[in-house]
Amino acid sequence: MSMLTSIKRALGIDTRQEDYTFTKDPRFGHIATARVAEKWVKTTCGYCSVGCGMLVGVKDGKAVAARGNPDHPVNLGKLCPKGLSEHHVLDAPGRATQPLLRKDGKLVPVSWDEALDVMVEKFTGIQAKYGREALGVVGTGQLLTEDTYTLGKLVQLGFGTRNNDGNTTLCMASAVSGYKLSFGSDGPPGSYADMQAADVILLIGANIADNHPILCHRLDRTNRKGEMKLIVVDPRVTKTAMMADIHLPVKPRSDIALINGIAHVLIRDGLVSHDYIAAHTDDYAEFATFVEQFTPKHVAAVTGLSEARIVEVAHLYGNAKAAFIGWTMGVNHSTQGAMTVAAINNLALITGHIGRGGAAPFSITGQCNAMGTRETGFTSSLPGYRKYENAEHREELARLWGIDVDRIPSARGMAYPDIIEGAVAGKIKALWFVATNPVVSFPNFSVLDQALRSVEFLVVQDGFHPTPTSDYAHLVLPAAIWGEKEGTYTNSERRVSKVNAIVTPPGEARPDFDIFLAIAERLGVRDELYPGWTTTADAFREWQRVSAGRMCDYSGFTWQQLEDEGGAQWGGERLYADGVFPTATGRAKLHCVPCLPFAEQPDGEYNFVLNTGRTVEHWHTRTKTANIEMLDTMVPQAWLEMNPVDAAQLKLKAHDRVTVVSRRSAVNNLELRITGIVAPGQVFMPFHFSETNSNLVTLGAFDPISREPNFKQCAVRVEKFSQTLI
Amino acid sequence: MSLPLHERAADGSDPIVRMTLADLGKPFDVKTSATVVTSLIPARALEEDEQYRFHFDVTKCIGCRSCEVACNEQNGNPSDIRWRRIGEIEGGVYPDVLRHYLSMGCNHCLDAECVKGCPVEAYTKDPVTGIVLHSADACIGCQYCVWNCTYQVPQFNAERGVVGKCDMCHGRLTAGLEPACVNACPEAAIEIEIVNKTAWRKNFTAAESPGLPAAMHTLSTTRLTLPESATKLERVDAGHIRPEHAHLSLVFMTTLIQAVTGGLFFALIAHGLTPLFLTMLLGITAIALNISVFHLGRPAYAWRAVKMWRRSWLSREVLFFGHFFGSLAICTAFAWAMVLPATLYTSPFLRTLQTWPHAALALTCLAWITVGFGCAGTIASAFIYLIPARPSWNMVHTPFDFLLSGLLIGGTFAFVLQMVTNWMATLPMLQGWPLAHAGAVYPFWPVVVAGLLWMLNHVVRLVRLSRSPLFEGRASIMLLNRSPLRAFLIASFVFALGSCALALVSSVTLSCLAAFLCVLLARYLFFVSVVPLNMALTFTRGGHA
Repeated sequence: MSMLTSIKRALGIDTRQEDYTFTKDPRFGHIATARVAEKWVKTTCGYCSVGCGMLVGVKDGKAVAARGNPDHPVNLGKLCPKGLSEHHVLDAPGRATQPLLRKDGKLVPVSWDEALDVMVEKFTGIQAKYGREALGVVGTGQLLTEDTYTLGKLVQLGFGTRNNDGNTTLCMASAVSGYKLSFGSDGPPGSYADMQAADVILLIGANIADNHPILCHRLDRTNRKGEMKLIVVDPRVTKTAMMADIHLPVKPRSDIALINGIAHVLIRDGLVSHDYIAAHTDDYAEFATFVEQFTPKHVAAVTGLSEARIVEVAHLYGNAKAAFIGWTMGVNHSTQGAMTVAAINNLALITGHIGRGGAAPFSITGQCNAMGTRETGFTSSLPGYRKYENAEHREELARLWGIDVDRIPSARGMAYPDIIEGAVAGKIKALWFVATNPVVSFPNFSVLDQALRSVEFLVVQDGFHPTPTSDYAHLVLPAAIWGEKEGTYTNSERRVSKVNAIVTPPGEARPDFDIFLAIAERLGVRDELYPGWTTTADAFREWQRVSAGRMCDYSGFTWQQLEDEGGAQWGGERLYADGVFPTATGRAKLHCVPCLPFAEQPDGEYNFVLNTGRTVEHWHTRTKTANIEMLDTMVPQAWLEMNPVDAAQLKLKAHDRVTVVSRRSAVNNLELRITGIVAPGQVFMPFHFSETNSNLVTLGAFDPISREPNFKQCAVRVEKFSQTLI
Repeated sequence: MSLPLHERAADGSDPIVRMTLADLGKPFDVKTSATVVTSLIPARALEEDEQYRFHFDVTKCIGCRSCEVACNEQNGNPSDIRWRRIGEIEGGVYPDVLRHYLSMGCNHCLDAECVKGCPVEAYTKDPVTGIVLHSADACIGCQYCVWNCTYQVPQFNAERGVVGKCDMCHGRLTAGLEPACVNACPEAAIEIEIVNKTAWRKNFTAAESPGLPAAMHTLSTTRLTLPESATKLERVDAGHIRPEHAHLSLVFMTTLIQAVTGGLFFALIAHGLTPLFLTMLLGITAIALNISVFHLGRPAYAWRAVKMWRRSWLSREVLFFGHFFGSLAICTAFAWAMVLPATLYTSPFLRTLQTWPHAALALTCLAWITVGFGCAGTIASAFIYLIPARPSWNMVHTPFDFLLSGLLIGGTFAFVLQMVTNWMATLPMLQGWPLAHAGAVYPFWPVVVAGLLWMLNHVVRLVRLSRSPLFEGRASIMLLNRSPLRAFLIASFVFALGSCALALVSSVTLSCLAAFLCVLLARYLFFVSVVPLNMALTFTRGGHA
């Protein structure tokens, strides 16, 4: 800035008028000139799994505006604040722009060649020394389906380790396992449209107003009041609970008792569909006997609800023409998550509220492409919802890939938490994290810390650096992010949508797909695993062949169709319309799900139950949203919610700084919010913030089936924060 | 004015008109959506006595804050400036708790204080739409509108040096498009509707909501639909009281100019006017006025500030202090002219003047006129602060304080200046100048009286604030009770007492110094301890101490 300009600005002669002019955008009308684009790129939002269609405006090679795509059936042109500001992430500070290798304890820039040579040499060296399975890989639901598919082959067939999992295990693994338990396969049976067709919607542990805001208009509570009943089950009076016609403020982890209690009343009062049960389910007799003990009286004692309320809700569900059950992390983040999902499925099955318009047990998933990772798999299952233990499935894949069937493992490797514990135990010696930030997102940080320090070589591939995790890395690979890559995401309702590159990655950052191919090249498996591949389109085409004929069949649509038509749902609008399930008998299984108390109960010393969650302004561990000023300034730090009764007892005031202490560690310097939205005896904090990391205190307890952590309950005490104690 | 939205929607050529769907939430049908029309902006033109307004449905809002982001994107504002803001209001006992959200832009009031207070007519109420429009070109960045608005709608953009605010997306609305916030809301909670102004003046209860200041001050036009619930909703940001901007330039400007007025007044009574004395007062006034100019975002356009003297107290202050400076300059020139020796400067006019028998009387008259302008300016300056949006300023104690501060400092200040001029007269380098030794006698009992009254005024103000029915009034006391403000408050009283005591023992210089410190501290506290009315914001608003 010239001296003259500085003087003119100081005197107010120059008011930067040129930066604040308005123009008529030919497509969107009067708007700040800075937001007028030369072209609009159709794409899909890269935050959550709602999968909103977007138009991102580009001018001079920079993304200048984000708009909801009015033609996209998911969001009809609407976006949440993260979506509306998503173009800023492409210009955000804090991006990883060059490969960094740790030399003499410091991360120094190196060339891609050196970085990948070292990586392959280290990984294969470690595998040669300790065995192939000494390598653990943790991917993510943030990648494209094409990326994930490519990564799965690279890890399982290229590196030859089964220890491949994703951060999706921290998120929706319980839904996957629960679906498999009941229906024989993963795959959410319903659609968003069902939320509009249902006359009863039961949301369990799902705060969609904060986490999936663009689903809320489907509930349309104001216009349809009286016709549609929204019932929200949540121990906390969330934004979503406040939208409900009936809020069931259950005690933490008493959801199974409630669900079984509803089943009990349904059976008792003859509100089950005996025809559906007889035709399409197994083990009803055992189930009916099992839920006999879940009388309203017993359930009332466990959940803290009134008997009348339980019966009322059961009757609403049972008498509904079409009833929809949606759930998210309140159910999944549990040591009994998979079984809770099975219990939910029981309700749908005994009433026949499945496979019809408006009727579905529906897992609202988390990340933009968690579903894509579920389908392409090679983590908890083989690609295309195939099973490791099924020889036919393995042979089919071997045929499709033209490889020896023995190279396809017949059992799953370690899940994410087992990989981390394996690293502590010395079984895992090398780790590769792709687009995930476990230092903030993984429970019980101290164990993770030990794992990250124990491995001989740690690679972190991410769009951002430094992140709390990349600080531990021996090698940091700078990756392209949403808006810099082309491929597909699949949303909660199985809708495959097109994702497009809007700008080029910064510096030397490369698309994950390119990184995977370059590694395969060095491993000598590129031609075998990825014959003739150059772009993600090649991966998509192979994935279409691999998924053809499977439940998650991608072969029916092209990229172009997906882009033009606002995506397409594999499996159509809903699954199981014919009542035939992919089990041995073709019938769904009813499970007897006991309600067990959560692992770490409060006691005299740790007298609060800590619940964790999210807020609408932030995404996951804030690597993105902390760098978008508009979002970060809305909620710049974490807080702890406490009931006024407890605050009075502890003599704490609003805005006091507090410390949350568990048996594992403590989170310091949290701002106290005194509010009636949490129950006495419970406290709540958001998990997004590395500065006040809730996972310092959370419990490392995992679901035995899904391996999902129990983020939602642990015992803590709350103290007034004192600077001197740090 | 036509809103061609229906036509444009009907032919389906323009994608924007489909962005807000009238049947939002109903099953989506690709084939029919092109003919779906937004119902969120008025479909007919405005008639006589009507204007546009926002309707915000509290029961629909889910607190997603899309409107807030959409607004910033629409207007290309920096992230710290939010023309649309979200607030939280909460109440009840677990599990029967309610939390609702307020999403507010400008309320496009019928009696907008921003319009009335603006010294440069940067604000206009659009005669067609009723939208309160602000012109960045006309604005000089005085930020008086920021003080005046009971909802804190106008925001100062430091990068630009001017204020900006929500204009209901005037450019979009008049083109038949909904404002950005209306367009962004996924719940159709915000809409634009037509209000009959006369009817609204008679009954504006729908403008009231928990978490909003009373609508009566400005006649906000925003209509709110509130939940039908007996639960009392309250704002959640009340614990976030923070000191306001200190406005140091205004602290010094007001203090100095009051001191000069007071000094001139006492010098007149004590017959202590000398050319050098007046020159010093003039110099201090020049400094004070220049300091105040640099409190503006656009100092180069300070001169515009007198424009709206018919309705803005800020314009009147500038006008009176301008006249004060002018007449003080004339007094000074006159005083010099009376004593300039013919050896230095020969002119028939001077000779006539120096021999004019009524010259001294004329000077006295001129000086009294100057004092009059000073008092008028001081009162006008006090009236700037008498605004409903700032309860701890909006008290009779403010003009009392300004006048008493002038008297408190003035008595000793005149004497100290006299001592300084007498000392200057002894300097060798000034020996050629006609610098008479001034020997005016200043009684110091007025200082003691002014000091006691000053303290009484402040004590009564503090007591009244602590019993204020308005939260913001009591909150000022909470602020003053916090460290370090409490120490400053005590110190200002100690200095006031000290000034009186020192005057009594004739330690005049120290008394004057104490008076200055007392007034500067009190004025600093005046600015930082004000808690403006505002809409309820969120629990985590802004940064944290």
